Amino acid sequence: MAPYFFYLFAAVLIFASLCVVLARNPLYNVLSLVVAIFSLSCLFVILEAYFVGMILLLVYAGAVLVFFLFVVMCLNLNTITITSEQQSRFRWLGSFVGLMFLSSFFLASKSFIKAQSMDPSSIRGTIENIGKILFTNYLLPFELTSLLLLIAIFGIVSLAQGVLDTGKDN
Amino acid sequence: MITLGNYLALSGVIFSIGLIGVMTSRNVLKVLLSLELLLAASNLLFVAFSKFNGDYAGQLIVFFVILVAAAEVAIGLAIIVLMYRRLSTIQADELRTMKW
Repeated sequence: MAPYFFYLFAAVLIFASLCVVLARNPLYNVLSLVVAIFSLSCLFVILEAYFVGMILLLVYAGAVLVFFLFVVMCLNLNTITITSEQQSRFRWLGSFVGLMFLSSFFLASKSFIKAQSMDPSSIRGTIENIGKILFTNYLLPFELTSLLLLIAIFGIVSLAQGVLDTGKDN
Repeated sequence: MITLGNYLALSGVIFSIGLIGVMTSRNVLKVLLSLELLLAASNLLFVAFSKFNGDYAGQLIVFFVILVAAAEVAIGLAIIVLMYRRLSTIQADELRTMKW
């Protein structure tokens, strides 16, 4: 049963990420990224990484992408970007480099798979198992992420401060 | 039977789509969305290797990557809003000066 689910969610993931890059309406870009994140989270569940899949749904699809949607609607980008959307001068160069990367990645991973054929282990990324390691071996990085988020808050507040100051000048 | 190779191939395809998106789009918002695709592809690879190696460290790194991505998106969107207020466009080509 699991192989069919893998191929189903892989197809949805590839289609949604193509929509992220190719759709012209920014609203559709964001919404197809929500679909992509959802199918990625389903793939995590197939890999028995339950905690990470849940966090991905909650934090990414729930918070980050809604933030994206908020900005798209707040800026009212639809009319502007659709009328003035011109493709970059480097479109063909960029696509060429991307496809070269894909082919080199396939060559490298092919030799890697030949070198060692692995069977899936029996680990299950439940909250209990992940939490035990997170609060013992990885406690310092976990605490440092709080510092990172604090610095991010400082950055956003200072950026917003600039907006308020220019508003006063006008 | 789904092997590690399937996950490697899927992750490579997603990463390439995101890479093409980053390099070809002029819209700054779309560049940020494609960066999220790059992070998603590497997250998938981390979890797949974690499962096939029997090591929880990969899933923990995905947890940290999600946290860092949340901070990055918050800052990036704040910069996009500022750019829209100053230049009233979000095309990357319009950013010509280093100091506003």
